[in-house]
Amino acid sequence: MSLAKPLMRGLLAKRLRFHLPIAFGLAFAAAVAFKYTVTEPRKRAYADFYKQYDAVKEFNAMREAGVFQSVRPSGE
Amino acid sequence: MFEAVLSKTFSPVASRCYSHGKVETDEEFDARWVTYFSKPDIDGWELRKGMNTLIGYDLVPEPKVLDSALRACRRLNDLASAIRILEAVKDKAGPHKDIYPYLIQELQPTLAELGISTPEELGIDKL
Repeated sequence: MSLAKPLMRGLLAKRLRFHLPIAFGLAFAAAVAFKYTVTEPRKRAYADFYKQYDAVKEFNAMREAGVFQSVRPSGE
Repeated sequence: MFEAVLSKTFSPVASRCYSHGKVETDEEFDARWVTYFSKPDIDGWELRKGMNTLIGYDLVPEPKVLDSALRACRRLNDLASAIRILEAVKDKAGPHKDIYPYLIQELQPTLAELGISTPEELGIDKL
């Protein structure tokens, strides 16, 4: 029983035609997933933090803690 | 999107993406390679160069091309290269396990005539 002639040309092309769109799709999906599970929450966290941020109050707290050289705590 | 690009760039082998210029048919391609290896005074370098180039293409060489290459090995008294050619085309077929048996079937008369053993017969196909 003799074997029939198989397909011998363009085998890589055939494989890539199938797998490359999937690869790009998955990579794109991974990027989108990362954006919405990591970067957006992070941006929101920063925005929320700074919405109610009082710079002067924080400065005075740091001043009282004695970490500055230019201004000493109000007590001294 | 990608399909259009792929079908243009990944047509078999030696066709480039010229808008001018004829695309070579498969038969012309095979005939060219049969002629290459049929050169009576082919030398070892040309044999190796030819095989390396041929293996670089996105295809498994046709039996008639391999026949011509094996006969070139015979003219060069190079049995090692002949067996190596068989190993190479087996590797080229990759996951398509039906190609190599077909090739051996088609090349059987040539292998018998030239006295070339297959890697399987020599037991060197297993690691």
